[in-house]
Order: sequence, then structure tokens, then C-alpha cells
Amino acid sequence: MISRKLQVFTVLLVLVILAMAGYFVHLKRKAEAIASPQLQQALVAPVNGPAETTLLFLPNDEDGTLRATSVTLALPSDSGERARLALHTLIARGMEKDSPHPYGAGADVHDVFLMDPNSAVVNLNQSLVAGQHPGIQNEQLTLYSMVLTLKAQLPQLARVRFLVEGKSAETLAGHVALSDWMDVAQVQQSAPIAH
Amino acid sequence: MRHLLHAARWILLLQLLLVAGFAHGARSVSVISAQTNYQVEVLSHDGVEYVGLTDLLEPLGRVESHVEGNRVRFLFNGAEAVFEQGNTQCRVRSTRVDLPASFLLQDGRGYIPLASVGVLLPKLAELTAEMHPASRRIFVGIASIRYTAELRTSPSRMVLSFSAPVNPSTYMEKNRVRLLFRREPVVGGTASKLTYSDPFVRGVTFNESAAGAEVAVQVAQPATVTVGDGGRTLTISPAQAAAAPGATSPVAPPDAVSNPGQQVAPVAPPAVKIARGKAFVMLDAAHGGADAGAASSPAEKLLTLALARRVQRELEAKGISVVLARASDVALSFDQRAAAANVARVSLYVAIHLSPEGHGARVYSTLLPPATLAEQDRRAFLPWDLAQAPYLERSAQAAVAVAGALNSAGVTARNSAVALRPLNSVTAPAIAVEFAPLDGGAAELATPVYQQKVASALAVAIATLRGRWEEAQ
Repeated sequence: MISRKLQVFTVLLVLVILAMAGYFVHLKRKAEAIASPQLQQALVAPVNGPAETTLLFLPNDEDGTLRATSVTLALPSDSGERARLALHTLIARGMEKDSPHPYGAGADVHDVFLMDPNSAVVNLNQSLVAGQHPGIQNEQLTLYSMVLTLKAQLPQLARVRFLVEGKSAETLAGHVALSDWMDVAQVQQSAPIAH
Repeated sequence: MRHLLHAARWILLLQLLLVAGFAHGARSVSVISAQTNYQVEVLSHDGVEYVGLTDLLEPLGRVESHVEGNRVRFLFNGAEAVFEQGNTQCRVRSTRVDLPASFLLQDGRGYIPLASVGVLLPKLAELTAEMHPASRRIFVGIASIRYTAELRTSPSRMVLSFSAPVNPSTYMEKNRVRLLFRREPVVGGTASKLTYSDPFVRGVTFNESAAGAEVAVQVAQPATVTVGDGGRTLTISPAQAAAAPGATSPVAPPDAVSNPGQQVAPVAPPAVKIARGKAFVMLDAAHGGADAGAASSPAEKLLTLALARRVQRELEAKGISVVLARASDVALSFDQRAAAANVARVSLYVAIHLSPEGHGARVYSTLLPPATLAEQDRRAFLPWDLAQAPYLERSAQAAVAVAGALNSAGVTARNSAVALRPLNSVTAPAIAVEFAPLDGGAAELATPVYQQKVASALAVAIATLRGRWEEAQ
């Protein structure tokens, strides 16, 4: 015959085990949610510099336009780093919830190299390319938004070349060519900028 | 130890399977027709090579097959052919035809011996079919092009005369000029290698491979290629001689010779001329094969093909001749698409895309870097990637005109420019049209109502553009 005390103890023990198991599942889900690609937004690194107003050209897939938007950013003095940070912020905007031009998880720009005051090479990461929605308009908006945002940072910029993980790529996602330099004046002339 | 041996056995088995898979994938023949080119897989059975009759015929027309026991009844564009498993005879349009090996029926699919293609196709499809075993290419509905090589003196030059106009890819290499005929059924003469004791021309060789037929002229010094007689004559002469006054253009630049392997495209006149007797427009259904395109259901590659076919029907009903870059679900590279348009010598190239995002239609012409263009203006030959240069302005005008005509036809459209492949290598006005939903969501793209509406609008836009060009001409 099992004593009543032992029965109560066993029931309590089972309840504690179940509660702990439930708590463990809750913690696991929470950890997965934190690691979820949907929340892997490009975080803008803090910069010790004066806050400046600059232009970002935000793409909108629905109406196929780019909107010039003023933002205040703390930007460093180094031109290449300023340019990279501006593109970083542009992509971070695209990774916000309900963005009209979403980027894939982990999308970012590794570096912006200034060859001379007129030429910039932008090194995209693979996540940006992998998460790019294919289509002529989508790819055009991604690239033109970056070119115009760079031009706002670097007024002398005349041409831009895009690399993916340091290598030349034929197209961004099967449509728009990346194999040659992009002429900034041509981009300014062709870009669908919303007025 | 036993486990290790067991694992090693599995690895060996996997390797064998992989090797078998690759070997199987490598067995195919290329079919080249006036409309399209595609690959057909070859099946080996009892030492005989077979091809699937449906695979062979489907890109060329409407095919139906009915299996009744051991018998298979094929209908190709209404013409009937009846085959029987294991039988070396078949009936085509009420005529008995002998096959070099027995007909094969496997998994409900009918296979004919590869060697019988040249006999069966003319009877069934009423198209000539010529098999080139060396390059594993079958030319359907295209007559062989023969050539003669003639060494002329004062100055020393090699004149290649072809039985029909040709448009080869030209590679200038040190001491060699290579002419590669990717789509043209050029066949060699009696000798595949000719040698000369000439101070300039050392020899001419002919080769066929899966890439195409190649005529190579060995030369002693940098050479240029001159096209004459409407593309029937190619003259290879020393660079200095061609640069003399009165030499006909186009002429290869001397620095192309010093850049081995560089592919060059002849500069064509920039004015748009509607070529009589040629297809007016090439419709290129984007993507195909493993490249499914934008995520949609069905895949974009199938929707673009269906749309291209509808536009083709609409245009042909208006009396405008059309050629499709691809007529089935096959993979074509950007270069193959551009080469097909250039060989077909169409007056307009239209790439058709679909996108589930946005609204209406977007019409694009391509962009080329202006610095490179300015440099190329001084040259008679253009690099392959810049072959569109002389047509850029016309392409931009075509994009504006087509967008305007689409708007008039009830499809909201705008035009823009962006660096696009393969438009940059097309030697004709070239545009890309990307259609998005009109009223509904992404599902609308696959509906017959949507497809017909945008197909009709695009056909009207192309017809309007043709009308304008004809007036200007």
C-alpha cells in the first residue's frame, strides 16, 4: 500500500517535470524566434560623428518607383565608409516589416571601394543576391536605388561597378547585367523617380 | 573493419551511379530548325541509338500519340504514322517505310532509331532533315550550305564562297582566323584540310563539333575578314591590304588580332530596314529549362512561352511573320538567344517576361557604358557584348512606341532603360517587355483572359511599330 504522502509527492513531482518541460519548450521557441531570418535585420553600427541629413532613394515594387527620402545619420568622415553606411541604412529600411521592396535575410553591402573620386565598386553579399526577388523591375530598383544613394553621398561619382562576394557576376538575379560599369548619368536619366 | 568495407561498397556504388548519370546526360543530339534549336536525349538499346519521337517532333508542331497494345499511332500536324514494337517497318502517311532497327516502345513512349530520322522526318513532317554525325546535329528544314576555298594572288588572299549567306562568329587569333557557324548547316568539301605554299595563306581546315562547324584559315600575318556578296563571300586578307582605299567593310580592327580569342560582331548599318522574306520579329520567351524564372504557379518560363505563342498567333493573323527564340521548355543561354536573333536577321527582338509584382507592363531597352561606346565608334567591328550599340537609339524609340501603344490598347505601361542581357548582343532594335498583373494578384498571370489581353495588346503595339517603320522606309 502506497502512503498518501508518497502519492502527493509523486503527483507534485510530475507536475514540476511537466512545468519545466513547458518552460524549456518556451525558451527554445524564443531562442529560435531570435535566430529567425525574418528578424535578421541589417543593424546600423553606431558611429561617432556629427548627425547629417542625407538622401536615401527608397524603392517601391508596387508602383515601380524610387522615392528620395531625407534621413539624418551620424556618418564618419571617410568617404568609402560613409557610402557603405548609407547603403547599409538603405538596405535596413528595406528589411523593415511591410517594406515595399523587401530584401532577403542577412542582405548587406560588404564594402564600397572608391577607385578615384569618379568610380566606386560596391561589394554585395551573397544573401542580398539570394534574397533578391527576380524580375527586371525589382532588380533595376535595387541597383538604381544604390547608385542614386551613392551619388547623394559622392557628388563626383560618375560610374559604379557591382561585385558579389568580391567577384564579377553576370546578372543580379537573372535579368539586370552586373558585368559592366553602370554610368551614373544614364541611371539618373533612366531611374523611375517619384515626384 | 566490416563496417569500413560496407561503407566503401556503398561509396563505390554511388560513384558508379553518378558516372552512369553523367554518361546518360551527355548522350543527346542537337536539332536545329529555322524556328528553334533544342536538345533531344538519346537512348541506347541493344547497341542502337534511339530518340523519342515526341521529344523530336514536339518543338516543331502539334504532336499526339496513342498507344494501343504494341502499336503506337502518332499524329504530327494531322499526318499519321503507325509504329509497332519490335517491327523494322512502319507506316507513314499510308506508305511503308523501312527502319534501320526495330521500333522501341518503353514506358508508353515511342522511340525511333536515330539513324532513321533523316528518312522519317521528310515523310512525316515534309521537312528536310540532315544528320551531321560528327557534331551530333540534325538540321531540319534547312538546306546544307557548301563552300569553296579559293586562293587568290596580288595581293594574296583567301576567298571563301558559300552557297547561301552566312553570318559566322569570327575569332581573330595569332596566325589563325576562325569562323564558327553555330546555326548554319555548313558542310565541308572533299578535303577537311588544305595546305598552301603561299606567303600569306598557309592552309584551311574544316571541323565539326557540338559547338558548330568551324572553318579555320591559317595565316602568316595579322588578317582581316571582309564580307561580300550579301554574306555569301568571306575574304581573308592581310590587315594592310584591307585597310587600303576602296576595301569593302566591315574590317576587323588590328588590335582584335593581337587579342586572341576575342569574339567580334560585324557592325551593321544603324538604320532599321525591314528585311523582306525574313521574319519581322523574334519573340523570346524568357527563361526555360532549369531556369524557371520568377516564382509563380505555373513557373514564369511556362507562362512566357504560352504568352509568346499567343502573341505569335495574333501577329501572324495580322500578316506579320514571327520567329520564336524557343518553342518548348528548353534552356537557352543569353548568347544563344542573341545569336538566334542575329542569325534570323529579324527587324525587331522582343524578350517577354512576367512578374507577379507591380502593375501593368514595363518596356525596357538596354544601356551600354558610354565610355566604351565612344571608344568603339572608331572601330569597324564591335565586341559581342556591345553589338547592340548601333541600334541603341532605335531600341529606345521602340520601347517608347511599344509602351505608348500598350497604353492605347488598355494595358498601363511605362518605358525605362537598364543594362539587360541578351539585348546588348542583339544586332537589331531590341526591347524587353515585363508584364505584371493588371487588376488582380499574381494568380491573374496564368489566366487565359489575362494572357489573351496582354498578348493582343503587345501584338497591336508591334504591328503599330512596324507600320511606323514601313512609313519611314
